[in-house]
Amino acid sequence: MTRYFIKRLLGGLFTIWITTIAVTLLIHLVPGDPVQIMYAQSQSTTPEQIEQIRRNLGLDRPIYEQYIMYMGRVLQGDLGTTIRGNQPVLDLLLVRLPNTLLLAVTSLIITMVVGVTAGFFAAYKRGTWIDSTLMTGAILGISVPNFWLGLMLISIFSVRLGWFPVSGTNLNNLVLPALTLGLANAASVSRLTRSSMLDVLSQDYMRTARAKGLAETLVLSRHAFRNGMINVVNMLGLQFTYMMGGAIVVENVFAWNGIGRLAIQSIFQRDYPTIQGFILIFATVVVIVSIVLDLLYAWIDPRITYH
Amino acid sequence: MFWQFKLRKKTARSLLGAALTALLVSACGNNQQTTTTSPSPGTTATEGGTLIWARYGDADSLDPHRTTTTLSWQIFDQIYDTLLAFDDNGEIVPNLAREWQVSDDGTEVTFVLNEGITCHDGTPFDANDVKYTADRAIDSQNPSVTRGAWGPIETVDVVDPQTVRFRFQSPFAAFVSFMADPFASMICDSNQELGNQFGVSQAVGTGTWQLVSWTRGDEIVLDKNPDYVRYGRPVQNEGAAYLDRLVVRQIPEAQTRLAGLQTGEVQLIVNPPLDDLDAIRGDSNLELHVAENTGQNFFFEFTVSRPPFNDIRARQAVAHAIDVDAALRVAFDEGLVERERCPISRGVFGNDQEFCGQYSYEHNPDRARQLLAEMGYGANRPMEVILMTSTGDNRERMVQVFQSQLAQVGINAKIETMDIGTLNARVKQENERNTGISTFDMMDWAWFDPDILYQLWHSPGAYSGYQSPELDALLERTRTTVDATQRREAVNDVMEYLLMNAVHIPLYTPGSLWVYATRTQVQGFKIGPFNRPVFNDVRLQ
Repeated sequence: MTRYFIKRLLGGLFTIWITTIAVTLLIHLVPGDPVQIMYAQSQSTTPEQIEQIRRNLGLDRPIYEQYIMYMGRVLQGDLGTTIRGNQPVLDLLLVRLPNTLLLAVTSLIITMVVGVTAGFFAAYKRGTWIDSTLMTGAILGISVPNFWLGLMLISIFSVRLGWFPVSGTNLNNLVLPALTLGLANAASVSRLTRSSMLDVLSQDYMRTARAKGLAETLVLSRHAFRNGMINVVNMLGLQFTYMMGGAIVVENVFAWNGIGRLAIQSIFQRDYPTIQGFILIFATVVVIVSIVLDLLYAWIDPRITYH
Repeated sequence: MFWQFKLRKKTARSLLGAALTALLVSACGNNQQTTTTSPSPGTTATEGGTLIWARYGDADSLDPHRTTTTLSWQIFDQIYDTLLAFDDNGEIVPNLAREWQVSDDGTEVTFVLNEGITCHDGTPFDANDVKYTADRAIDSQNPSVTRGAWGPIETVDVVDPQTVRFRFQSPFAAFVSFMADPFASMICDSNQELGNQFGVSQAVGTGTWQLVSWTRGDEIVLDKNPDYVRYGRPVQNEGAAYLDRLVVRQIPEAQTRLAGLQTGEVQLIVNPPLDDLDAIRGDSNLELHVAENTGQNFFFEFTVSRPPFNDIRARQAVAHAIDVDAALRVAFDEGLVERERCPISRGVFGNDQEFCGQYSYEHNPDRARQLLAEMGYGANRPMEVILMTSTGDNRERMVQVFQSQLAQVGINAKIETMDIGTLNARVKQENERNTGISTFDMMDWAWFDPDILYQLWHSPGAYSGYQSPELDALLERTRTTVDATQRREAVNDVMEYLLMNAVHIPLYTPGSLWVYATRTQVQGFKIGPFNRPVFNDVRLQ
C-alpha cells in the first residue's frame, strides 16, 4: 500500500510537471504577449521602452530559459507577481481557491446524490416508464451546455421566483451555481450507476440473498447497492476533475469569485504568471484528490490489492 | 469531513488540507455582503444608500499611468479629479485649476489652482501634487502608458503652492484638452509612500469617491468623499455625492447582469444583451441610457506591407463595396449607433460630417468591380482576404454583412474574430510581415482629441501600418498648431489625406461599452461626454 502510494505520488508530480510545460508552450503560442497587450492601445511607449519592459520581465529570453527560471522560483514557493497589478499570484489564487473548492465539492455532492439515486431507481424499475423518463432526462442533462442551464436557473429561480440572488460569492449564492454544475454531471453518473446496478442485480448472489428470505430493502442495500457503488466511487476522481473544469464556466456565469474566473481574465490579459500559477494549483488539487480517492477506493473494495 | 482526516494523516500541510480548512472557515459564514434595501416605489429620492454598478470586466489598475482601458479610467474618473474639465458640450472649462494660461509661442502652460482642496487622506492638494503627477507620468523609469499624451514636456515648475507651470520643448496643442481627461487624473503625492500598493490596494486622490477596497475581478468599493467640492464638472450637486457608497461589481455574463438588474440586486449595468433591449424598454422598472459623443470610432485599416492592399485601388474597392448604412440596420437596433464619416468621431474637436462627406466612399459595387478588374481580378480570379475583428456586442454581425457585400463584387473575405488584445497584437504582426494572405481589420479607438490620429498614424504608428513622410508632416502640424482655427484646418488636411488614400475608412460610432440600463429608482444618473458615467447627482428613490 505504501509502495503504491509513493508510486502514485511520483506519478502525480510527473503529471503536474508535464502540465506546467504544456501550459507554458501553449500561452507562448497565442499571439500577443502581456506587454504587447498592455500597451497595444497606447502610442506613448516607444518600441525601445516596450523592449525594456520585456527585458525586465524576462520575456526576451527563449521559452525554455523562461520556463527554467520560473520553475526555479516555484520550487522555492514563489509563484511571482501579476504583470498588471504587481500582486503576488499565490495570494490571489489561495484567496479564491476555497471558493472554487466549495463550489466543486458542493456540486460533487449534488451530482452523487442525484445521479446515484436516479441511476439506482432506473435500474431497479428497469424497462418501466420511470426508467425511460429518468434516462431521457439524463440524455438531456448531458446535452445541455453548462452556461445555458445556469442562465435558465437564474431566469426561473432568481428573476421569476426571487428565491436566490443572481450573482456574488457567499453561501446564499452557492445554490444556483452548485445546482448548475451538479445537475449537468449527475446525468452521466446516473447512467453509469444504472448500468453498474443492472450488472449487480443479475448476479447469482442476489438470487441467493432473496432465496434466503432476506427482506427486499436489505437485499438492495447490503448486496446490490454496496457492490454497485464500487464502479461509481471509482468515478469520483474523474467527476471531481470535471467539477473543477466546469467551475471555470459556471463561475463566469454567476460571477462567483473563484480561481476559474481569475484564470479567464488572466488569459485575456496574457498575464503569464497568473495563468501558470492557476494551472499549477489546479493540477495539484486534481492530482491530490484523485490519489486520495483511489486510496479510498482500495479501502472500500477489499478485493483490490496494489503492487 | 472524512477527507480532511485522511489528509492530516497522509499529507499534512498539503495544499488541499490548507484549502479545505479555509473552505470550512469560509463556509462558516465570515462572508461580507452588502445589502441594499429598495424603498417602496412612490417615495421621493433620498440621500444615502448604496448603488451597485455591474460591468463585464474589471479595471486593470487604479494607477492612471499603468493602463488605458475604459474599464479602468471610468474608475479613475470617480477617485481622482483633473485640472480642467469638459462641460456638456465637450468644451474645456476650469476645474481643480481655476484658470490657465497658454504663452503666445505655445511652449508654456500655467495653471492656478483653487484653494482649500484636500486629498482623501487629509493632506492639502497643491502645485506639488500636480508636479508629482506629471513627473511620474513622463518618468522613463516608470513605463507610463500615457507618456506620449502629455507631450514633449521639458520641465514642470512649482511657481508657488497654488501655481504650476509646464514648459514644452515645442508647442503642444493637445495638452489643454488632455488636462480634462481622466488619463490626466491628478494623484496626490502621498501615494509615493505606498510603493507597489498604489493603484492596487490604495489610491489617494481628490475625486468624488474614495477607495475603500478592491477585490480584483470581483468588486471595487468606493465611499463618498465628504469634502468634495465641485468646480468644473458638469453636475448640479456642488458638494459631496448624495449616495454613501458606490460598488462596482464585475459580472462577466451579459444575461446575468440583466437578471441582476431585473431582481434589483444591482441598480446599474453596462452592456446589457443587445437582443434584449426591447425587454428593458418595456419594463417600467428599468430605463435605458445610450451614451453619445463617446469619442469612439470603428474603422477599417489595411495591411499595406504586401499585395493587394499596398495598392490604393484594392483599398478603395473594399470601401466602395460595402454599404455601411445597410449593415448598421441589420446589426443594430434603431438609435444605438450612427454612421461616422470622419476618422475622428462626433463630439471630438475637428469632427465635421460635411467636410468628410466630400471624401467618403459611397456604396458603389460597379466602381468596386471596375477597380478590381483593373488589378486583374475577376469572376475567375476572386480576391482572397482575411477580415479580422474583435469580439463584442454586435460587431460580428456587422462584419458578416460586410462579408456578403464584399462577395458580391468578387472579394472573398474570411472572417476571424478574436479578443481585442489578440487583435491588437495580430494587426501589428501582419503589418510586419511581407508575405502571406492579405488582411484588413475593423478596429475601434476612442479619444477626446484629434490627437488620436497622430497616435494611430504617425510613424512608426500604433500598428506599424500605413506610413508616409507627407502624412507625418501633416500630423505634426496638428500637434504644434495652438490656434484653434488653424488647428481645425490642420486636422482637416489629415482627415482628407487619410480618406483620399483609403488608409482609414470610418464606419460607425459609438459601438463599445455605450449602452447602460438602470433601475428607475436611480435618479440623476448621467453619462458625460466621452462616455464618463457620473454619480454626483445620483439619488435613490
